Amino acid sequence: MDFSRRQALCTGGGLGAAALLAACGGGAGTAPAAGGSPRRGGTLRVGALGRTSAITRDPHGTQGNESDYLVIALVHDTLTAPGGKDNNTVARLASAFTPSKDLRTWRFTLAEGAAFHDGTPVTADDVVWSLRRLRGTPSGAARLPGITAGHITADGKRTVVLVSDYANAELPLLTRLSTFVLKKDTPDKEIPGAPGTGPFKLDWYRGGNARLLRNTDWYGGAVHLDAIEVTMFQSPQAMANAMLSGQIDVASNAGAVAARTARARRDVQVVRRPDDMAMPIVMRTSGGPFADARVREAMKLLVDREAMVRQVLSGYGSVANDILGTGDPAYAGDLPQRRRDLARAQRLLTDAGFDFSRTYQLVTTEDVAGLAESATLFASQAREAGVRIEVVKQESGAFYQKTWLKGDFYTNYWGTNDSVVFFASKTLTTGAGQNETDWSDQEFDAAYRKVLATADRTARTAALRDLQRIEHDRSGYLLWGMADGIDLAAPKVRGLPKLPGYGRVQLENVWLAP
Amino acid sequence: MTGSGALEDTTRSVPEPAVRRAVGLAARLAAVLAKRVALLVVLLAVVFAAIELLPGDAASATSERGEGAAGVAARRRLLGLDRPVWERFRDWLTALPTGDLGTSARGERVSDLLSAPLPNTLLLGSTAFVLTVLAALALGTWAAARPKGVVDRVVDLTSTAAFALPEFVVAVGLLLVLSLWTGWLPAATVTGADGTPAGWHMLVMPVLALTVPQTGWNTRIVRGALADQAATPHVAAARLDGLPTRQVLLRHALPGAWPAIATGVATSTGMLLGGTVVVETLFNYPGIGTVLAGAVADRDTPVIAAVVACSAALITVVLLLADLIRARTLGVRA
Repeated sequence: MDFSRRQALCTGGGLGAAALLAACGGGAGTAPAAGGSPRRGGTLRVGALGRTSAITRDPHGTQGNESDYLVIALVHDTLTAPGGKDNNTVARLASAFTPSKDLRTWRFTLAEGAAFHDGTPVTADDVVWSLRRLRGTPSGAARLPGITAGHITADGKRTVVLVSDYANAELPLLTRLSTFVLKKDTPDKEIPGAPGTGPFKLDWYRGGNARLLRNTDWYGGAVHLDAIEVTMFQSPQAMANAMLSGQIDVASNAGAVAARTARARRDVQVVRRPDDMAMPIVMRTSGGPFADARVREAMKLLVDREAMVRQVLSGYGSVANDILGTGDPAYAGDLPQRRRDLARAQRLLTDAGFDFSRTYQLVTTEDVAGLAESATLFASQAREAGVRIEVVKQESGAFYQKTWLKGDFYTNYWGTNDSVVFFASKTLTTGAGQNETDWSDQEFDAAYRKVLATADRTARTAALRDLQRIEHDRSGYLLWGMADGIDLAAPKVRGLPKLPGYGRVQLENVWLAP
Repeated sequence: MTGSGALEDTTRSVPEPAVRRAVGLAARLAAVLAKRVALLVVLLAVVFAAIELLPGDAASATSERGEGAAGVAARRRLLGLDRPVWERFRDWLTALPTGDLGTSARGERVSDLLSAPLPNTLLLGSTAFVLTVLAALALGTWAAARPKGVVDRVVDLTSTAAFALPEFVVAVGLLLVLSLWTGWLPAATVTGADGTPAGWHMLVMPVLALTVPQTGWNTRIVRGALADQAATPHVAAARLDGLPTRQVLLRHALPGAWPAIATGVATSTGMLLGGTVVVETLFNYPGIGTVLAGAVADRDTPVIAAVVACSAALITVVLLLADLIRARTLGVRA
């Protein structure tokens, strides 16, 4: 079987199709502005990416498919949910969450009137059972860090108490994405069709595709749509084609290539969700050529950030300032923006005794669109300052085995970008589980501990700013820009979420204009 | 008459010619079948070995991002990937006759994984197959009716061009013309609650994308086989007798051309099945091609091997049918 050729053709064909489609658009036009008052009724047809081989129906499993996560998130509720610019954590199944003075004990009060789709009220026992089940999965420790199963308890019928091993002012942030609640003691076999508490009920699910019906009794408010039909697409090209031929109303997370294709068309809205994806260049701080902070700073000065955003992201993105968590309401936007300064970069490199005669390998993958391109463009920009970089592409599996967390110099990507603390806890503090740059900075650690242990909002914001300043000055991350999340939608679709990352699945406020 | 009866007959006395032919055919079939099964086993061994050579394995490919090395190692043990590849191959192969296709890297039974997509692919493939055969026969005989005529030249050129076109080029062209420019047909397949395409019109473009290149190939074979037959004495005699062209072609030339045509068409089965991987992905058609593409990315050996085994079984059956047609035709003439 001539498989490799077919595969090559397949990718080539996709690109060819996109190029051809771009050529056949109509005149330039802007999508109609969203507005008007919500109207009840209608079926929204949503396309989302996924593969048959990766289908997961368990809300506490690993959802490799966006289509599966979308269905799960519409049927089941999490305790909290991603929010907008003012507050990255908002109430959901838990209507209120309050910490103890020492910020270790958090009490979550369940929303008034919350019930499963079969009418049974949600109790604290259901939530405790669900959270313990989540904690018991292989990745449970990463999803509920610092909370052991025994520290998840019920207090009465409507309060759930979580006790963290350490003070954690950001604990509700951790309950946003995967704390889906099911009925206590739901057997594993019945999990796929088990009733949830969310804005939509499952009508049917088959092979990645699903139909969902409005939950008229949802505690969270009126749901406008009668139904949502989810179609799984194996390739972004097929999804974009279905969008352009009017088979679906929304193409979720369609990407920059599809956006460029659709830009010229009047009958498609391009919805941009800023701060969706970070694609930092990772430099090892504990050894190797980038251990010297001056070398790292020089790399951050070599890059032409505007050109990166323009060329790698087709302009669908924004320039960043080497701090991860750009969508955080407390993001330190007032720190001076680093700009390209080749003279200073060269001076720093010379001072640090940088070896200009060597060629440095930058390892990358093709896991997300633009990642390998970002490495290539950065390498050519660095060459202008006399730094020789060779880009090495690795297959995804090999990358995670050989390079990730180990290499001196590589690219990576992160999807949750509305919290500075999220990255600090996961990747930047000494000994953090995914400390990609192997960074250990006492001042940074102290700032981090202060942020977690400070309840007062103003004092916390000040501590958070210190933390970001240190990260900006000397961490091993070169974050040149942020990619927008891009959804395509028919003109009649209103109320689509503008949130980055998994905020895109909050479709309960969507309505269809006549 | 039973098979064993036939065998006894052959040992006792000089058998009837019909019986001898039947026994000979059965023996030949059994031999061919045994050869094909042996070939399939070798092919599956190659599949197992090839996936072993790809970078990464199912444990790392399906691992959660951020899962530690210990977690990946534990999953590797769970999936049995720490055992030698030949051992895994032996276990998988010995379970195969019982209908057990193994378990996927994500813990699903492979037979469940294929139960919905396989019928969809068979529907797509068989429709394309039937269309290909009909179109190739029609075009090939039409062209042969007047050798070196206008029709013959046009068919000759277009069939060569069509065969040279990869499926994805045909598919993209169809998408542009039939869907995005004219809006006549849906660009992608959307499935209903039963897992099959929501409308028959969603099959049109995938079927055409598969049919066009294969029709090119088979038209050339039909045309070539008829040309060979035209040179034989009995066809020449029929023509000299002044029989109408139509009758010469259909009654005298075509029967002798069957063996060559059957063989050509049978080889198309393999190419059709290979083409579905591309076509299904482009049109979002819910078949085994898309399952296979995902399984390769996941290094999911049992799923890949199961798809290969199913396709190979299908191809074997079609090739056997072609052999039968050949044996029958040649037998009649012998």
